[in-house]
Amino acid sequence: MRDGMVRAIGLAIVVSGFGGIVWIYARQPQSLAEATGALSASVGAYHADEQAFADGLRFFRHDQFAAARLAFERADPAHQDARTQFYIGYSYYREGWGRLYVDRDLFARGLDAVNRAIAAAPRGRLVVDDAQLQMRSGDELKAELETGLQARTEVNPFTIVRRQRK
Amino acid sequence: MSRTLEVFWVPLLFLGVTLLGGVRVAERVVFVRPPLSALVLAVLLLTALVRCGAFAPQRLMHAARSTIENLSGAAVLLTMFAASVQAFNSVIPETGLPRLLAVVFLVVLLLNTIAASTDRTHVLRSTAVILGSTYVIKFIVLAALSDPAGGWLQRVLLATLEGVTLGTLTQAPLALVSGYVSFVTLALFLVGLILLPRRHESSALVPAN
Repeated sequence: MRDGMVRAIGLAIVVSGFGGIVWIYARQPQSLAEATGALSASVGAYHADEQAFADGLRFFRHDQFAAARLAFERADPAHQDARTQFYIGYSYYREGWGRLYVDRDLFARGLDAVNRAIAAAPRGRLVVDDAQLQMRSGDELKAELETGLQARTEVNPFTIVRRQRK
Repeated sequence: MSRTLEVFWVPLLFLGVTLLGGVRVAERVVFVRPPLSALVLAVLLLTALVRCGAFAPQRLMHAARSTIENLSGAAVLLTMFAASVQAFNSVIPETGLPRLLAVVFLVVLLLNTIAASTDRTHVLRSTAVILGSTYVIKFIVLAALSDPAGGWLQRVLLATLEGVTLGTLTQAPLALVSGYVSFVTLALFLVGLILLPRRHESSALVPAN
């Protein structure tokens, strides 16, 4: 093979490898599924599993939040589908909300999920068309979760007057 | 340095180091971006290697070479620099006083190596000792101090460091696999440094074919 061709192939491999490393450090994928999902999402080829999403939604509506999250996780293993991540965040909110306290751990996980949802949504605008939800946008859910996390203590009798946004 | 080494193996070796240098495994896998101090340390290491002749960039890029040859030479240089940054990123402690001390320690050692301007063997050996000792400090000494379960090494170190506030020394605990990844990273990096073209070889570096 000609010298120039060999060097051009080597350069192409090095440049694409370096680009891949920069992408990995920027996106921080946690698994091969996340990495391949993020790659396919970047070219618009990623779709959540609709059957698993429907299962998750059914569990969510019956307040079976842990089961709902398992199904949502199956639907969106790469964490690239904004709608699925929104429902995961909502399930943490609903499960973590208490009349006298909030579960900060669950709220923090919910905030992570809603941040992923907003990041995956086009231009960061996420609106879910679901009449059964009181909060239908990523911004509302994020604000609600952040408010819960900013409370000085987990147990707060003043929250007794607040209502959960179903 | 043969063409295959220059075009494929050395850059890919250094890309492997660049990828692995920031990997930390705790509750989740995190790819830690290099601190600015790692960039400074990499520049110092590059200077030391060039001054002692362990690395001769003029053999990878010069006027007599074609554009594509110079580009592949530049790829070796750039991947080597990125790997140096990540090698330091791998061994510098993550936070607090240990991080500051490690950076100062590394800067002083590298400046001393540059000033001494010894031969290639000595500088490569010195680089291995510098990186190896920082590795031991981070993944054995500080890891033992930060181990929530304690252990005999922690008790010995605590007795030695009596009077020092432990909070200034402890780091977020990492999984054992982080140490293995860092060890492999440093080993690959040192192999890459050995493979670099040195100053005293013939200047006709790559066969024309």
